Amino acid sequence: MVDDICISDVLLAGAKEVFETMIFMDLEEASEPDRKIEDDAMLGSITFKIDFEGNMQGCLTICCSTPCAKTIATNMLGMEPDEEISEAEIRDALGEVTNMVMGSVKTRVQDEVGNLQVSIPTVVSGRDLEYSLGDGASKISVIVSLGDEYIADISWLCREAHKLNRKREDKQA
Amino acid sequence: MAKSLMIVDDSATMRKIIMRTVRMSGLEFDRTEEAGNGNEALEKLGGGPVDIMLCDINMPEMSGTELVKEVRKLDSCADMRIIMVSTESSQELIDGVVADGANGYITKPFTPEKFQEKLTPFMN
Ligand SMILES: [Mg+2]
Repeated sequence: MVDDICISDVLLAGAKEVFETMIFMDLEEASEPDRKIEDDAMLGSITFKIDFEGNMQGCLTICCSTPCAKTIATNMLGMEPDEEISEAEIRDALGEVTNMVMGSVKTRVQDEVGNLQVSIPTVVSGRDLEYSLGDGASKISVIVSLGDEYIADISWLCREAHKLNRKREDKQA
Repeated sequence: MAKSLMIVDDSATMRKIIMRTVRMSGLEFDRTEEAGNGNEALEKLGGGPVDIMLCDINMPEMSGTELVKEVRKLDSCADMRIIMVSTESSQELIDGVVADGANGYITKPFTPEKFQEKLTPFMN
């Protein structure tokens, strides 16, 4: 199955494709100094989440600050930076970004894990996410820099279905 | 010849982006319509068909795959070209929706060049 290192590469490649073709923003894995300011940058942040199921079960999330989300949305819509944009439009835009990153990741892991069925994107708080899959789930995060200004966290939280089944069999035995 | 277009996607943002990308691709339509899901699209098509429909797959109420099947039941829409625009990219799904009557497939993320390539054959 797909290992951790591979997933972080796939997350990075998938996100890069989406940000560069649809949002016109450079996306790179964040450097060490950038990671240190990550906590500050995430203050007042929002998380967008998409659930998936199939041979793997879990979710993909994108977490960034509110100003970062706004910049992504205005870039994506081709608006001027100071143009008014509503909260609903920002959420809708970021939901679609999450959807496309998931699609891009899905395409890249399709050969190894088969097709994954995905949900419609939702907005969640960080805490909901932590306990949504419980023990035994693994989380892989990539911290990325967007343009020169922003930091975002792209995470993949999952458990493999075959492991889930094995656990059940162990219990029955 | 004058052409009409309908964009069906549950995200208003995505509908705007598709519209902008179509414009950037240099293709011209004299009438464009939008719908947020399959039901809304069918209702609008009841008033008359369009030449080309760009259709998302994952939508609440009625998905794009169901919409294609419904549209193909309508005599008035027999000549309508349907291009799916989706993040879904499994060959199985693409083959299935083409068998149901879709004429093409564009995956998200996309570029204006992609729209030009996939739509130009249907512009005459
Ligand atoms: Mg959709």
